[in-house]
Amino acid sequence: MIRKEAINIVAEKIGNQPIISANGFISRDLFDAYDRNSNFYMIGSMGLASSIGLGVALKKTKKKIFVFDGDGNILMNLGSLITIGMTKPKNLVHVIFDNSSHESTGGQPTATNKIQLSKIAKSSNFKVFQVKTKKQLVKIFQKIKLIPGPIMVIVKIEKGEVISKRINIEPTKIKNRFMCSLKK
Amino acid sequence: MKELTQKQVFDYLFNNGIENFIGVPDSTMKHFIDQGFKKNKILITTREDEAIGIAVGMTLSQSSSLVFMQNAGFANSLSTITSLVQLYKIPMIFLIGWRGFLKNDAPEHTKIGKIQPKLLQALSLQSKVINEKNWRISCDWALKLIKEKKPCALILKRDFID
Repeated sequence: MIRKEAINIVAEKIGNQPIISANGFISRDLFDAYDRNSNFYMIGSMGLASSIGLGVALKKTKKKIFVFDGDGNILMNLGSLITIGMTKPKNLVHVIFDNSSHESTGGQPTATNKIQLSKIAKSSNFKVFQVKTKKQLVKIFQKIKLIPGPIMVIVKIEKGEVISKRINIEPTKIKNRFMCSLKK
Repeated sequence: MKELTQKQVFDYLFNNGIENFIGVPDSTMKHFIDQGFKKNKILITTREDEAIGIAVGMTLSQSSSLVFMQNAGFANSLSTITSLVQLYKIPMIFLIGWRGFLKNDAPEHTKIGKIQPKLLQALSLQSKVINEKNWRISCDWALKLIKEKKPCALILKRDFID
């Protein structure tokens, strides 16, 4: 399974619930697959998608908040797992699309095939699930509906050749429509 | 800044709509943070850019935020400020402790303290240095700016050596 296939499956499953997506190909794939007002495409500030997601989750406790992150992104801000673990938002689902590489910048390796991110997350009070196949991925998003967070779903993916189009919405518009969607 | 004034600054901002105080501690503003803890309104993060990210999420949820940090942490956060806060025009108040303001401050603060005003200028981040006399009007200025959806900074000088 490549990233775009995985993002398609997850985005379809979670519908109009808020998603904060990491910079690079992850946001581009999401934009290409399902552009919705409830998507906040973080096009800069690498590493911070989970922090933004935490901020929303702590304030919008009646909504379930999803973060679409990459392995390179979360490794850049591991401290975020500590703060999420400390504040324990029940409504936060942190999805990591893990191909053990910085694919957006040319496929350089990350450390996720040498260390266990799942253990770091577990010791930071996350409930952690790992999936490798499309079937498992569909199943897990059914399962976590009833489980209180913080939840981390690590989706092991392969590097792929597919590159989605760039996001062509003004950042302030991304913000405004996301804020409106949160009011509903 | 005196202990009592720092507490007054916290109370004033809190009573005027700032709901979240997120950041990395700085001894320059110890009493401000202590007052926030008393009100159960402080969230301490691992790094300053992380605090900005959380504040962005809260602001997107219509809850006004202040991010506090030392100027060393402000320097750590430059790219987050340009590519997140300013790019998306997300209003928030930065409270920045200014180490290296005194010439005989510890050596690690000298260089960053010297370029602190230039960094703010380079970012075009509007700021005011607050003191015993002007803190109230400076807070009003900052509260007005965030209502206009503009981020801004309040600077607190480190005016003592320990």
